[in-house]
Amino acid sequence: MSLDRRTFLKSSALLGGALGVGALPSLAHGLTSDGVDARAYRPEGGTSKSAPLRILILGGTGFIGPYQVKYAVERGHKITLFNRGKTNADLFPEIPRLIGDRNLPDGHKALSTGEWDVVIDNPTANPKWVRDAGTALKGRTKHYIFVSTISVFSDNSKPVDENGPLNTPSDIETPFDPSKYGSNKVRSEQEAKTQFGNNVTIVRPGLIVGPGDLSDRFSYWPVRIDRGGEILAPGTPDDPAQYVDAQDLSSWIIRLAENRTMGTFNATGPKTPTTIAEMLYGIKAVTTSDAKFTWVPADFLAEKEVRPWTEMPVWIPPIGRTYGFMRVNCQKAYAAGLTFRPLADTAKDTLVWYHSRPAAEQEKARAGLAPEKEKTVLAAWHAKQLAAK
Amino acid sequence: MNTSLNAGVSNAQVKPLRILILGGTGFIGPHQVDYALSRGHNVTLFNRGQTNPGLFPNVEKLIGDRNAPNGYASLKGRTWDVVLDNPTQIPRWVREAGAALKDSTQKYVFVSTLSTFKNRKAIGITEDGPLNDPAPYDAVPGGFTPPDPARPTATYGQLKVRCEMEAREAFGDKALIVRPGLIVGPGDLTDRFSYWPVRIEQGGEVLAPGTPDDPVAFIDARDLTEWMIRLVENGANGTFNAVGPRYGLTVSQMLYGCKAVTSSSATFTWVDADFLLERKLRPYAELPVWMPPRGDSAGWARMDVSKAINAGLTFRPLADTARETLVYYHAQTPERQATLKAGLPPEKEREALAAWHTKIGH
Repeated sequence: MSLDRRTFLKSSALLGGALGVGALPSLAHGLTSDGVDARAYRPEGGTSKSAPLRILILGGTGFIGPYQVKYAVERGHKITLFNRGKTNADLFPEIPRLIGDRNLPDGHKALSTGEWDVVIDNPTANPKWVRDAGTALKGRTKHYIFVSTISVFSDNSKPVDENGPLNTPSDIETPFDPSKYGSNKVRSEQEAKTQFGNNVTIVRPGLIVGPGDLSDRFSYWPVRIDRGGEILAPGTPDDPAQYVDAQDLSSWIIRLAENRTMGTFNATGPKTPTTIAEMLYGIKAVTTSDAKFTWVPADFLAEKEVRPWTEMPVWIPPIGRTYGFMRVNCQKAYAAGLTFRPLADTAKDTLVWYHSRPAAEQEKARAGLAPEKEKTVLAAWHAKQLAAK
Repeated sequence: MNTSLNAGVSNAQVKPLRILILGGTGFIGPHQVDYALSRGHNVTLFNRGQTNPGLFPNVEKLIGDRNAPNGYASLKGRTWDVVLDNPTQIPRWVREAGAALKDSTQKYVFVSTLSTFKNRKAIGITEDGPLNDPAPYDAVPGGFTPPDPARPTATYGQLKVRCEMEAREAFGDKALIVRPGLIVGPGDLTDRFSYWPVRIEQGGEVLAPGTPDDPVAFIDARDLTEWMIRLVENGANGTFNAVGPRYGLTVSQMLYGCKAVTSSSATFTWVDADFLLERKLRPYAELPVWMPPRGDSAGWARMDVSKAINAGLTFRPLADTARETLVYYHAQTPERQATLKAGLPPEKEREALAAWHTKIGH
C-alpha cells in the first residue's frame, strides 16, 4: 500500500508544465465558483482587514498557487511570483515575475533584492530549497509560510494533532532522494524554522482536491459517478474521508498572511467528521447519473489487490496502522479560520474542469480503478456473496 | 460536454400554444408560467385574483371564483389549445370546468396525485394499479374543520379518483392526467422536503429515519411543470405517474446530497423504523419524504414511472433542488422560517435521539 502523497504533489508540479496554456481556460472556470448560497456557505473574513501586503509566492503557477494569486489580488495585495518561468508561463501576465531555478547553485539570486511582508513557499520537498531561500531572503521578509504535508507524521494508527510524532528528518547534506517525501518535508519544516525563526507558518494539508488537480485523486470519483452504472465503493459507508479543496486552502493561507498567524497547522477537512458515503453520495447529487454503489469490504479489496488511496482515491482502511489516517485533528486550523465550501461546488467544478481538458488527458486518469478491474472485482464480490447464501 | 450534470432537454423551437392555467399562482403554477413563457407560449391565468396577485404583471389574467355560481363567466367566448387545471381535489370544480371549457380547448390537463392508488404495497405500481374507491360527486375533504354536515366527506385520494373520472367524462380523449408524487423545491409551502436541507444546514446531530438504504421518491416542481408543458407541446394524452428521481434514490443519498450543498457540521444518526413508530414519530409528516419500505408502503417510493420517462420526464440534480430550496427558504420572512410545517420539532428530535442512544448503549 502506498500512503505517499508524493506522486500527487510531483505530478501536480511537473505535469503543470507539460500542460501549458491548454489548462488555463478551464482553470479559470474553477476559480469562479458559481451559485454559492451565501447562507449555506459562510467563508470567514469576507474582505481583507489587513493593509495591502507585498506577497512573494515561490512557485505560484501550479495547482494551489493560482488560487492564492487570484484570491490575494482580489483582496488588494501586491503579488510577485518567483519560478522558472516554465510552468503555465502565460498565466498572470500582469503579475511581476522573478525568474530562478531552485535546483541551480545560484538559483535564488533573483531574490537577493526586494522586501516582502510575506513569502509563501508552495509545495517543495527539497530542504535545500528552503535553506537557499532563507539565505537569499534573510532579513527581507517579515513572514514565511511553508506548505508542508500531513505526510510528515510517522504514525497514522491514531488521530494526530500538530504534535503527533514525525518521520525522521532526512539529511540535508546528502543527495536529494524524492522517494523520502515525508522525511524531506520534516527536514524542510525544520529548515524553515532555522531560517526564519518565529516568523514562520507551517501549513500541513491533507489531500488537496478540486479543479486544476492533475493527480486525479478525488477527481476520479466525480468522473466515475458521472459515468454511472454500478460503482465499486470502498470499505464501509461510514469509513472516514478527509480532503481539502485547493481554493479553501489557498484563500486561508492568504488570510493567515493577513492576520500574521504563526505556528504549525494540520489543514484538511471537512470541519466535522465526514464519511466516504457522504462524499460519494454528495458527489452524486450534482449529477443526474444512474450510479449505484456497491460497498466492498477492505479485506476483500486487499485480497483482490485493489490499492487504497491510489486505486480507491481518498479512502484508506480506517484500521490498524491507518486508523487515524483520515482522522487528522485540524481543530487548530479551524480556529484559525480555515473554512470549507460545499462539497457540491468542489464536485461540480471538478467535473466541469475535467471535461474541459483535452480528450487524451481525460482518458489517462492518474488515479482510480481501471474500468476492467472494477468490473472484475465487482463480479468476484457478487460471486462470493452468492456462494455465501 | 458529455456529462450527466444536466438532464439535457432540447430547447428546439416549438409551436406557440395558447395555454389557460386554472390557478397558476400557487406552488407549481408559477413554475409552469415561467417555463411556458420561456418556450414562447401565450399564457392566460384564471383565478380569484387573491393568491399572489402581484405575480406576472405582464400575463393576462381572467378573474373567477370556482366556488361561486357563474364562476367561469370570464372564460366565455375564448378558445385555448390547452387548459391546465392545477391541484384541486373538488370533483365539482372539474365537472364545472368541463361544462365551461370542453368545447373551447383542444386539451385539458388535470394534476392528480399518486394518492389515487389504493395502497403502495407492491413495488413498481404502474398507471394501471388499483385505485381508491372514488368519492361521491358532492363529497368534501375529510379531516378538515368544520365538516359540512350536508355533504359526505372523503379522503384526498378518493376525491382525486373522482376528479380524474370527472375529467375523463367531460373531456374524453382530450384529457391528460398527471399523477405526481411528493412535489418539492422552491415555492413549496408544505416543507415536506424543505425540512431536510433546512435541518441539515442548521448542523449538529440529525435524526435520520430508518436505514440508509431505504428508498425515497419525490419530484422537483420545476421538473414536473417543465415536463407538463413539453407533454402538451408534444400532444400527449393519457395518464402518467410522475415522481423521481429517475434512478432509485436512497434516503442516505438524499440526506448526504442535501448536506453537500452546505458547509454544515451535520452528522447523521440512523434510527430504525420500529423505534420511530414505537415513539409515535410520524413517517412522511415528521420524518419527511421517508416511509418505512414495508407493509402497505413497501412500494411507496418505488412506483413505476417508465411511462413518464419515455414521454420525456427528466430530473435535475438533487444538489440543484436542495440548494434552490434553501435559497427560497432563506428569502422567506423570519416568522415563516421559524414555523416549518413538516419535520420534527427540535425538542422532539433531541428527545428521540437521547432515547435512541440510551437504547443502543452509546
